[in-house]
Parts: sequence; C-alpha cells; structure tokens
Amino acid sequence: MAVLPGGIRAAARRRGPLDGEGRWALLFLAPTLVGLAILSAGPILATLAISLTSWDLLQAPSLVGIDNFVALASDDRFLKALRNTFFYTATSVPIGLVIALGLALALNQTIRGIAWIRTAYFLPVVTSTIAVALVWQWILSPDAGLLNQALGVLGIAPRKWLVEPTLIMPSIVAMSIWQGLGTNVIIFLAGLQAIPTELIDAASVDGAARWARFRHVVLPLLTPSIFFTGVLSLIASFQVFDQIFVLQRPRPTSASITVVYFIYENGFKFFRMGYASAASWVLFLIVAFFTWLYFRGQARWVHYQ
Amino acid sequence: MTRDPATSRSASATIVLGAILALLVAACGGATTTTAPSAAAPSVAASAEPSTASAAPSDAGYTGPEATISYSIWGDPSEIKSQQAVVDAFHVVNPKITVKVTVSDWDTYWDKLQTGIAGGDAPDVFAMDGPLFPDYQSRGVLLDLKPYIDKSGFDLGQLADQAVGDFTTETGQFGLPRDLNVIALFYNKAMFDAANVAYPDETWDWAKLVAAAHSLTKDTNGDGKPDQWGFYTETSDMENYWSSLVWQNGGEVISPDKKSTLLGTDQAVGGLQFLQDLIWKEKVMPEPALFAETGDAFEQGKAAMEANGSWLVPTHLTAGIQLGIAPLPKGPAGQATSINPTGAVVFKGSKNPDAAWEFVKYLASPAAQTKLMELKASLPANKEVLSGPYGQSFDGAKVLADSIAYAHIKPSFRGYNDFTTTLQTELDENVFNAPNKTVKEAIDAVLPSLNEILAKQ
Repeated sequence: MAVLPGGIRAAARRRGPLDGEGRWALLFLAPTLVGLAILSAGPILATLAISLTSWDLLQAPSLVGIDNFVALASDDRFLKALRNTFFYTATSVPIGLVIALGLALALNQTIRGIAWIRTAYFLPVVTSTIAVALVWQWILSPDAGLLNQALGVLGIAPRKWLVEPTLIMPSIVAMSIWQGLGTNVIIFLAGLQAIPTELIDAASVDGAARWARFRHVVLPLLTPSIFFTGVLSLIASFQVFDQIFVLQRPRPTSASITVVYFIYENGFKFFRMGYASAASWVLFLIVAFFTWLYFRGQARWVHYQ
Repeated sequence: MTRDPATSRSASATIVLGAILALLVAACGGATTTTAPSAAAPSVAASAEPSTASAAPSDAGYTGPEATISYSIWGDPSEIKSQQAVVDAFHVVNPKITVKVTVSDWDTYWDKLQTGIAGGDAPDVFAMDGPLFPDYQSRGVLLDLKPYIDKSGFDLGQLADQAVGDFTTETGQFGLPRDLNVIALFYNKAMFDAANVAYPDETWDWAKLVAAAHSLTKDTNGDGKPDQWGFYTETSDMENYWSSLVWQNGGEVISPDKKSTLLGTDQAVGGLQFLQDLIWKEKVMPEPALFAETGDAFEQGKAAMEANGSWLVPTHLTAGIQLGIAPLPKGPAGQATSINPTGAVVFKGSKNPDAAWEFVKYLASPAAQTKLMELKASLPANKEVLSGPYGQSFDGAKVLADSIAYAHIKPSFRGYNDFTTTLQTELDENVFNAPNKTVKEAIDAVLPSLNEILAKQ
C-alpha cells in the first residue's frame, strides 16, 4: 500500500541520505517485498477477478461482469455497514490520537516506575482482541457490568451498552481506543524523545511559556509521528471486525455491522464469494482514497526537521 | 448455530475472572486439535486407489487397501475425547483404516470446510448440520451414499426416520444421521420446591407455563426488578424455542417447496407473539440483553425453567442444577418440538470413499452410538440405542427420546444462513431485544426480503 514508501521516504529524509546504502536496504527488504508480492498483491488481484464472478466457493465461478458492484450500491445491509464503518473511523481515529498524545506527554517524564506505567499502557496492544472484548463485555454488561454499577453510584440509570442501537458503536469505539492506545503512545513517546532539548531550552530562553513551547515547538516537531500513527489508525479502523465478531454474537445488528463483517458473512455464510470480493474492492478503494487524501494534505501540516 | 453462542457465552461467564484466563481461552478459541489414533498410523500406500469395484457386495466390512481418512467435526475440545474413543473402537474392528479427527469451533469449522472444498482438500468425512445440508448437497460436493447402502445391504430403517430424511434428496442419500438434538423444557427442581409449584409434565400448555412462570418470578431484594425469573430461552435462533411455538400454534416456517416463507400467517405470527409476550408483556422472562454477556440464566440458577436443546444437558448437570426435563408445553394446535440431526457426510472428492463409507456406517452403529450417548449432549440416531439404553442413561432422557414422536424437523433449505440473518436481525432488534414492533409488524417488514432470498435459490 501507499503507506510504506511514504513512511520510508519520511524516515529517510529525517535520518539523512541513504545513498550507497540503498542497495543494502533493498537486500534487507527483499524478503518482505517478495512476501508482499506473493501473499498480498497476488490475492488482491485474484480478488478483483473473483469480484467479477458469481462464485459460491464450492462450484465453478461464472462471469457476471460488474453485477456485484451494481448490486452493492442498492444493498441496504452494505450501506448500513458502510455508515457504521465511517462512524467508527471518524470517531475512533481522532479521539484515539488526541488521547494517545495527551498520555504520551504525561508519560514523557523521568519519575520512578515510569517504565512500568508505560508497559501497562502497552499491555492491551499485545493482548488478543478476543480477550479484550470478553473483558469489556463484562464491563458493559447491563446488569452486573462495572460501568453501569459505577454510573449507579452517581445516580445515573443503567444502559444496555451493547444492545441499544445508538450506544453499540460508541461502546465499541471506546473499547478499541483503549486497546489501541499503547501503540500510538509508544510512537509519540519516541517522537517526543527525539526532540532535541536545545530547541525547547531555546524557546524557554526566548520567553515561551509552557503552552507556547508545546504549541510552537513540540507539536510541530511531533507532526511526523502524528502523521504516521494517523495513517496506520486510519487504515486499521476501516477494517474493524474482531470487536464486532465477539461483542455482537451471534450476529451484529444493523447498527453494528461493519464492512469487513459484511464481507465475511457473504463470503463464508451466504456462499457469495464473488459478492464478498466486490465489497472488499469497494473497501480497498475507499481506504486507498482516504490514504491518498491524507498524504496529499501532508505538506500543509507535517514538518520534518 | 445454536450450540455455539451458548458455548461462547458460558465461556465468557467464566472469563470475567480475569484477563489472563481470557487470554488462554482466546488462544484456544481458534485452535484446532488434531490427534491420531493411539495405534501407529500406517502411511497410505501409493497404490491406495479407490476400489469401488472390489468392494464386497454383502456387508463383509472393508476389504480395500490400508487407508487413512480424515474426519472433521465442530464442537468443544472436550468432545474430541469421546470422538476419539469412537475412532479407536472403529480401528479395532477395521485395522486397515486409520481415522484422523479434527475438532473446530462452529465458525472456524465452516470457514475451513468451504476453503478446503474450494482447494480440493476437504476432509473425507465431516459433520453436517441439518439446515445447511441443502446448501452443500445442491452444490455437488457430497458423495451419494445410495450405491454403498444398496451394495452393503445397510438398513436405513434402523435410524430415526425424520433424521434420515433430512439427508435424502430425489437423487440419493447424501449422509447418515450421527445424532439428534431435540428441544424440551428444563426445570430447576429446587426452585419449584421452594415456590411450592408442581413440576411441569406432559399436561402443561401455554397458559400453565405462564401461570407457573409468574409464581416463579421473584424480586427477592426489593429493587423493583426480578432477580429470579420464571422462564428463560434463547431468542436468536428459531431452533431454541420459537419454531416449536409456531408449530404448536398450527403455523409453519417455510413452504413445502421451500420457495417462500409461511411466517406471515396468523398461526406463525401468533407463535412468535407468545414469546415476545413472555418477555415484554408477562415479564416472566428476562429480556435478551440482560443475559447476553453472562450467558444462560437457567444454568446460573437465575431462571426456574428453560426451553432449549438437549445439547445443554451436560452443561446444566455440571452446573449442579437439580435438573428436571419435561416436554415443551402444548400450544393451541397441540404438541410439537424441534428435532435437528447432525449428519456424517462424505466429500465427493474423497480418495478413499470405501473407507469413508465404512466409517460413516460405523458411526451409525449401536456400538458407536452407545459411546456418543455417554456425552449426554445429543440423542442417538440409532433406534435400537435410542429406545434402549439411552432412555436410562440419565434422569429425563426418556422424555427427550419420547418427544421425537411429535417432533418437526428443523427447517432445512438452500439459503438458510441468508434467510436467518435477515429474519433474526429484524426480530432481535424490534421484537425480542426491544418491543419496537409487534411480531406482525416485524414480519410484514421483512417478508418481501425473505421471499426474495428463497426465490433466488
């Protein structure tokens, strides 16, 4: 995907030229590149071919042209899945980034036990989504759930977080943000620690207060990290699936179905692999478009040293 | 579908103890265990060609070359033990055939099966859910066992008739039933005794169920919400209870030609309406959301009765409930329950169809059926075992066995998953999880889509 070259270019510019070392870089990258070509590019192209067929996986496919794509445009369930997925992306990505940034600033300290605290924030990332979802299922449970009990103490009536149509997606967004926080925090921390202290000291000498130092020195220098985590979160969020799969058993409602779940159920439950492939391509193009848009906007707000 | 949500929920109930435990379960969730029989697995000789021609005309057993076949089932990892016992016993009788068992969880099972078939590498013998059979059979991936049945003189009459019929088509017999699942009324004797209510029996009807459920629904801590419920069932699949209600009210789910749904009739709507009323009008059953995360209310001792499947017997017994089993209460049009067989089918592309048939035949034999019976999770498909030792195998087993006489087969047709998803999404959202609509309104809203799905098949 377009992410990698951009990211590499950015890194290259930051760390200085790689001239002469380019060949070595290519050599070391070769295993990954070959893997990508065979395991990603191949299936992606195959999916494009399959999307033009009617195929139930069990019998030979038959060519149907763009019928699958036409049908998708008027498939109510697909449109709902798109709407839910956009909601998920539009909320989980920005909110997740802001919280992660705040946390990274708080964790960028030299106090005792900071390593332990940082590890704690990273733990959810290395925990399987299934396990996280099961714990959150308990937190969000309407009757004995932690959240409703906590709200009860404050005199707030209990809600059915995973059942009420207006609450399902926000609940899932909350869980996903909590789970994904660690990755972004680590990258932000690395970004923060790469900022030369001389720059901050110089700003202080020039009379910049705390907020001004953050706004005009730290934040601009952190934009490459924000850009990087942003694009990763963006792409991952469009592919939200596991959380829905676990928290909405046995099946999501029309308020919680996402595009990848739609692809899964059509391909493996409804014997419509061609249709599922067409939906995959629509999703791929949407992700590619937003990634492209995001990269285009890069020059306007991302500052490389 | 029915087994899986129940399993995952009872798992989740245990999980809340901590993330570490959850991690373990998650790790096991996707895992598949493959075990080989204790006897050394002989390697398949290069000459292990299918030998249909040399198969014995009478039932002299397997006479082909040494063969290894694979057998895939869904279920708990715990089920592998009993399946392995069956496989080992089979190997003793047929030393030339080695069977490798693979157990997957419900979702993984079907994903793997489909990709396996697409890649031409499916298991030789695999388990088939009754309702999904037409989707596989009509796509030509199952072996017709009719020639093998004729050749070996196997008597289909020894197996439960409805269950055999579920795998019969106009062109042949594409599987044998391995075991049966039926729906009955479970009750907690201790809770009935405490409330001084008489145990359910075969005379019960809907009115009696509602009356008893009212007596057993209690708010013991006075917070205005019941903390003991009279009744509990699962609403997310027709098999758990509501298809039986439709039949008990004289309705039907699907037309005989399977090209349209009959859920729009007053009888069908009335059956479903009874279930919505138990939750939202009578308030003797918890709304599904309350136990969606923690699992079966009956198993937790929070409901006095549960209409549900025979597969829950071992779970309920393990939970330490003083379990009673009664027939489902009768409806206005009489008695009915749901029966759903799990079949054993053979992949059409199997390299060892003779060995596969030998194994499928063995699975239906009294020897294998008696072993499977010990799990208590399902009813034997073999009549000899069903009417014999099964009835005494645990308290209430006889009630389950007798209910087969008035059981309707779980609707089975092409497009089953597609149909159910559309239907249940509407029912879950607007009828059971919240009473946004009456059953009539909800069914009317999805009827055109349902008929469109069926017409396309």
